[in-house]
Amino acid sequence: MSSVLELVNVSKIYGEGDSEVKALDNASFSIKRGEIVLIVGSSGSGKSTLLNMIGLLDSPTNGQIFIDGTNTTSLGDNKISSFRNTKLGFIFQFSNLLTDLSVLENVLLPIQIAGLSSTAEKDAKDLLKAVGLETQMHKRANKISGGQAQRVAIARGLINKPSIVLADEPTGNLDSVTSGTIVQLMKSMAKKLNQTFIIVTHDREHFGDVDRVITIKDGKAFEGDQPSTMEVLA
Amino acid sequence: MDYRLRLAKRMLFNKKGSLIGAVLAVTIGILVIHVNFVIFQGLFDAIVRDISDYRNGDILVTDEADYIDKSDLSLVNWFERIPFVEAATPRLSSTAEMNMTKNGKLIEETRIPIVGVDPFRDIRASTVHETVTEGNYVFSRNTIVLGSNVARDLGGAQVGDSVKVLVTDRYGQDQIRRFTVSGIANSPGGQGFDYSAVIHIDTLRDMMSRSGDTGSLMVKLNDPSKADEVKEFFLRSFPNDDFLAETIEESAEEQLAGFRSGIAMISMIGYFGMGSSAFAILTIQMMLVNGKTKEIGIMRAIGAKRKDILILFIFQGIIIGAIGACIGTAAGLGYTVYADITKMSFNNSLPLEVTYNWEKIIQTALTSFILAIISSLYPSYRATKLLPVEAMRSV
Repeated sequence: MSSVLELVNVSKIYGEGDSEVKALDNASFSIKRGEIVLIVGSSGSGKSTLLNMIGLLDSPTNGQIFIDGTNTTSLGDNKISSFRNTKLGFIFQFSNLLTDLSVLENVLLPIQIAGLSSTAEKDAKDLLKAVGLETQMHKRANKISGGQAQRVAIARGLINKPSIVLADEPTGNLDSVTSGTIVQLMKSMAKKLNQTFIIVTHDREHFGDVDRVITIKDGKAFEGDQPSTMEVLA
Repeated sequence: MDYRLRLAKRMLFNKKGSLIGAVLAVTIGILVIHVNFVIFQGLFDAIVRDISDYRNGDILVTDEADYIDKSDLSLVNWFERIPFVEAATPRLSSTAEMNMTKNGKLIEETRIPIVGVDPFRDIRASTVHETVTEGNYVFSRNTIVLGSNVARDLGGAQVGDSVKVLVTDRYGQDQIRRFTVSGIANSPGGQGFDYSAVIHIDTLRDMMSRSGDTGSLMVKLNDPSKADEVKEFFLRSFPNDDFLAETIEESAEEQLAGFRSGIAMISMIGYFGMGSSAFAILTIQMMLVNGKTKEIGIMRAIGAKRKDILILFIFQGIIIGAIGACIGTAAGLGYTVYADITKMSFNNSLPLEVTYNWEKIIQTALTSFILAIISSLYPSYRATKLLPVEAMRSV
C-alpha cells in the first residue's frame, strides 16, 4: 500500500530562548492509504499540534510533510487552501458547523468552495443518508443535537473524497453512547470508502481495534500505545 | 446562487440588529441629501422661478444704451415667431415719489421703484399679475398696482384710493400724475413687486418723456432649456444693434451667487453625513467580522481562500448598500412627493420649487451604495488576515 502521508523530521517550537517550548520533536512516520490511525497522548503532549500541522493549519518549524507525495511545506497560502479543500477532510471536537447554513448546505460547503461538481448535491444527500441524517438535511445546523452535528461533520469531512480525514477529539464533546455510535460510523465509513482516518483522542478505549496507534509524549512520537513495546518514531 | 453570497446574506439576516443598523446608516445618509436637496435646491429654484416669472423671464433683453429704441411691438413679434418662445413683453422702470392723503393726513414716500408694463402682453409672459391679491392688474392707463409694502407705507392704501405719483423725466422735469389704486400686489417670498408700483408702460413713457422706448424685454420660453439657443439666435439676428441678451442664470447671477455657495455648503454637510454613514457601516462590519471569527476559521480550515473570505464580506457590504440605497431613495422620494403635494413652503411664504432630479437621485443612491462597499473593504481585509487555527479557537 502507498503512503498517503509522510512526516520527515517534523518539529514545532514555540517561543525563543529561555521560553522555548518544543511541542513536537523530530517526528518521522508515514501512514498508508486506508489506515485508521489513532494519535493518543495526555493533555498538552503535542497531539493537536501534530494534527494541525498534518492538516496544514499550522506550519512546522523544521521538517517536511508530504501528502500524496507533495511536499506541503513549500506551498503558498492559496495552494495550501486548495490542498486542505481537496486532499483533507476535517472533523472537529465541537463539530464546527456553520450555524447560518442548513445541514445539507454545510455538507455541500467544501465542494462549493472547490467549485461545485455536477453530482455534488446527490453526493451530499447520499452521505447524509449514510450517516443517518436524511430526514434532517434541511434543518438549520444549530437545530440539531451534538451527536447529529458530529455526523454532519463526518459527512462534510468526506464530501470531497479527501486523501486523509483528520479528526480532532471527535467524541470529546459527546456522551458515551453517542461517542460509540460516532466511532462505529467513522470505522464503517473508513472501511466502506477505503478512507484514511487520523484521529486524535485522549480516550483510547472508545476506539477499540484500529490499524495503528501513535503515542505523543513530551513532543516525541512513538509507535504503539503500550509503554513496554513503544518504539520512537524519529 | 454563489455560496459566498448566500452565506453573506444568511450571516447578515441572522444578525438583524446589525443589518438594521447598517441599513439605517445608509438610509439616513441618503435621506439627509434628499431633504437638503428638496429644501435648499427647492428654495433656490423657487427664487429662480420667481425672478424668471416676475422680472427677468427666461431671457432678458436690454440695450447697452439703457433704453431699447427699436419698436417693442416688432421685437415682441420677432420673438413670438420662434417656436420655443411662449411670449414676450416690454418693461420700463424708473423711481417715483408718491403721496396719498389718508384720514386727512398726507403721507409721502420717496424712491419707490415703478415699473411700466403692457398689461395684455405682460399677463402672457409673466405671472406678476397673479400676485395682485386685492383688485385688478393695471388694465387702464390711470390705474396703479401698489406693492403691499408700499401700500402699507402709504398709510394703508386700498383699492380705489387715489395716489399722486411724481417721476422725473429725461430732461429733469418733474412729471406728476394722479392714479387710482386698482390692486395691491403681494408675493410669497417677496420676489414680486411688493416694494414697487406697477403702471401702464405708455403712461410711464409719457411721464419719462421716452415715447417708444423700452427698458427691457422679458422673454418667456415654453422650453427654458433652449434659452441659450434663442439668445444666440437673437443676437446673431440683430448684429448692428447694441442689444444685450442674458439667460436667467446670467441676469440673476448676482442675486443667486450667494444662494449657490449656500447650497454647496449644505450639500457638503449632506456628504459629510454620508461619510458618517460610511463610518457607521465600517464599525458595524467590523463587529460582524468579530462575531464571525470562528466561522471564518472553519471556512479557512475546509479550504476557503483569503479571496473567498474577502468576497463574502464584500457581498455583505453590497447587500447593506443595496438595501440601504433602495430604502433611502424610497424615503427620500417619499419626502419629495410629500413636499410636492403639500406645496411645502419656506418659512410659510415662498412655495418650494420641487423637482425630481433623477440624475441627482441616482447619483446619491449610487454614491451611498459604493460608499457602503468601500466601507466594508477594510473589515473584509481584516477577516482574511485571521489564521484558521486561532480563529477557530474563538467562541
